Amino acid sequence: MSDKNTALFCLESLKKAGADKAQCVLVNTEKNELNVDADKISLMRTSYNTNIRFTAIKDGRRGSSSLNGFLKPDIERVAASAVENAKASPADPAYDIAPRQPAKVFDNKIVTPDLDAMYDRLSTLLAQARVKYPLLKLSQAILNFNRRMEYFLNSNGVDFTSNSGYYDAFVFFLSQDGKKTSSFNYSMYTARDMKKEIIDTVSIDTLFRQSAEQLNTRPLEGKFEGEIIVTPVCLINFLQFITTMAIRDASLISGSSVYKDKLGKQIASQAFTLRSKPVSDEIVDGYYVTPDGFEAENTTIIEKGVLKTFLLSLYGANKTGLPRVSNTAGCDVIEPGDKTLEELAAPIKKGLLVARVSGNNPTEGGDFSGVAKNSYYIENGKILYPVSETMISCNIPKMFMDIKGISRERVHFGNSVYPWISFGGVTVSGK
Amino acid sequence: MIKTDLKEYAELLGGYSELRLHENRNTNVMLMNGNLVGNENSSSGGLSARVYKNGAWGFASSPGAELDTAKKVMAAASRNADFLDSRLKKGLPPLPAMAAHGIYDLSTKKPRRSQKELVDFISEIDGYIASKYKGLKGRRVLIKNLDMEKAFLNSYGSSFYSVTPRSVLMVFLFAEKDGAVVDHWEDVSSVGHFEDVFTEPSALFNWVDGVYERLMQKVSGIYPEAGHKECILDASLAGILAHEAVGHTTEADLVLGGSVAGALMGKPVASSMVNLTDFAHTAFGKPCHIPIYVDDEGVEAKDAVIIKDGVLTSYMHNRESAVHYGAAPTGNARASEFSDEPIIRMRNTAILPGTDRLEDMVASVDDGYYLAGWTNGQADATSEFTFGVKSGYEIKNGKFARSLRGATVSGVAFDLLKTVTMLSSEMNWSALGMCGKKQSIPAAMGGPAVKCVMNIGGR
Repeated sequence: MSDKNTALFCLESLKKAGADKAQCVLVNTEKNELNVDADKISLMRTSYNTNIRFTAIKDGRRGSSSLNGFLKPDIERVAASAVENAKASPADPAYDIAPRQPAKVFDNKIVTPDLDAMYDRLSTLLAQARVKYPLLKLSQAILNFNRRMEYFLNSNGVDFTSNSGYYDAFVFFLSQDGKKTSSFNYSMYTARDMKKEIIDTVSIDTLFRQSAEQLNTRPLEGKFEGEIIVTPVCLINFLQFITTMAIRDASLISGSSVYKDKLGKQIASQAFTLRSKPVSDEIVDGYYVTPDGFEAENTTIIEKGVLKTFLLSLYGANKTGLPRVSNTAGCDVIEPGDKTLEELAAPIKKGLLVARVSGNNPTEGGDFSGVAKNSYYIENGKILYPVSETMISCNIPKMFMDIKGISRERVHFGNSVYPWISFGGVTVSGK
Repeated sequence: MIKTDLKEYAELLGGYSELRLHENRNTNVMLMNGNLVGNENSSSGGLSARVYKNGAWGFASSPGAELDTAKKVMAAASRNADFLDSRLKKGLPPLPAMAAHGIYDLSTKKPRRSQKELVDFISEIDGYIASKYKGLKGRRVLIKNLDMEKAFLNSYGSSFYSVTPRSVLMVFLFAEKDGAVVDHWEDVSSVGHFEDVFTEPSALFNWVDGVYERLMQKVSGIYPEAGHKECILDASLAGILAHEAVGHTTEADLVLGGSVAGALMGKPVASSMVNLTDFAHTAFGKPCHIPIYVDDEGVEAKDAVIIKDGVLTSYMHNRESAVHYGAAPTGNARASEFSDEPIIRMRNTAILPGTDRLEDMVASVDDGYYLAGWTNGQADATSEFTFGVKSGYEIKNGKFARSLRGATVSGVAFDLLKTVTMLSSEMNWSALGMCGKKQSIPAAMGGPAVKCVMNIGGR
């Protein structure tokens, strides 16, 4: 049975089990992976998987189940369990599936991994790091090729097929000099091919250089309120309060979101524009279909500081009466500013260049505190030295209202495009 | 239920190679303000093969449990090992042979509850909260159950079958004070199927009352002053300190990767009253939450005594790292999903209790904090750590004063442990943790109350 026919069989099994509305998503994946552990290439992996997720709505009640595998008796059993789960649910008029849309096949036409190129890129990275940064320890590196075929069907007639392939790389490293060890740091990206050396991608060369500098950190004394410049790789730590928490279903349905009354209103400085572009050339590993079964579209989340959309699913939209977002977010692209990194630092009397944070989960109100890792002290406009045992505390909604500047240069991570951003009103406390 | 014995595939094995049939089954049920937003059960499983060739590893996995799948994954793993060996040419000798066997099925003997019964269970708790605490801003009640079932066979003759269930029930409550949302959550979690861990919803009502009470204390609480303070960490914080800040730095693969503990073996790293162990399956005569008898490389699991009387005495090992360090394997290799290779993981990591009474510990602090419960934790290769703290109290002149709304604490573990001056005789374990080192896997952690000096992040 072909994968498409298996998906059709899944949908029929849900209907046969009694679903009034049925949805199934069959995903076939193949992953080829190379690992580096402690400066040595160590393992090569090939993983195959077939995952099928079933959703059933019966009498206004919803249930889900999933399995991996493709045997007919298992499919029938797990489809029936989705319907049984639905019967266990209370009825809720907000439960629904996507309406019919024109059937489509999406394909990014990246099909086959180049295993030799993957091996060559990793061994070159190790060789380059050994020569250029002899104190660097590549604790771990992972290079993947991911192939994914998704069939999304529902009983309203939704019929989407998505084929995609991409590479992703993750490097995790520190520096060692005798008994001295620096804080670890990491970076990651996705790519359409393996042509570019890893060290030349997403600031990895800079991060390797900084790692050796960070063997000699200095603690800060005292406490002050100042500005921080957040690097592109670190920005997600602050941005995700907005994009994965405060304007999503859970916070809006429960009414705990600080942004619940802010649609169409200013929630960030005018310089800040955030788009979600899952079907853009700027994004390597986007997506074509939302988890609810809608064809994904690019959307603007925040434009010139104004909140343009909540990130509500179909259920969240039905529950709150607010509009559904036209994708499921992620694939962030932040518009560039007009400053160099030096120009961002120039007006700062006392502050930090923050490259990584190790911290608490933000509260529902957006209060955050954590240790600034791999970070540098800024004084009178100069980036001076790496710091240790330095904590930052801030309120994330207030931070985004107090953006001092955004860099012209941005880093393309494959799944996002971020600049350096300078924020005010952050408390920095040392020893 | 998967096959319990893989011996029929023994002829596929050679050199050092292993086959693992592995299925994870999850049940998630979640009510948010009375709305059922999660109602799902899922399973994910299949066969994996791992092959060692002259120092290179090949791995492959696929759904299925039958002979053709076993042949497919073994062939792919062998191809991958050959690919790497032909390029790396490490020429390392075979891994030492050692075998272990066993059947460890912790499944309940009681009839299993249906999904509807689980929904009804948390609906009753949710209804109790909604009717009793009407002033709340929001509430969430959820169940997260995970069964890990594994059958294993390797070319050195090791084999095991295990079923390790874990059950978790969590309550999140939200209140509002001066326009700001204050939240608090707690869990009841344990090894075992839901039927063996929980009885009736009403048995949890007292606990729910306590969660509400602690939320109200946070609502009227303050944020702590930033700076170094004498602190009493409650048992759950001691557990996350053991796991995040010390445990990770002493996993042998991370030591090889550059952790600061590489230079500290045999040296004092803590006050002489501090002992820290990663227990394999049994601690103080009782079964642990993550009981590992034979690990996912077919090695008998043993306790790793990491700190003894303040001195670093052992790392946690798999087969390969034990060879590197000339140490005995500790059986710490575990895989999270069927598609994951086993890597060095903690199991049940704890600071061992001392002899002090908590009342005496609090009474000994003139100006400090009692810190209770963790929200998350991260640590560095340097042993510098950051934990979110849920709640607590000021301690003034040996007595609890104002309550805390939460805090973030940080420090360098091997410095902090040298400031430990008291350890309570009582200890607690938590089964809630999911450790995220490459693969996300349950890990248990525990400890007594600890008196030490810690850096508090204030406002």
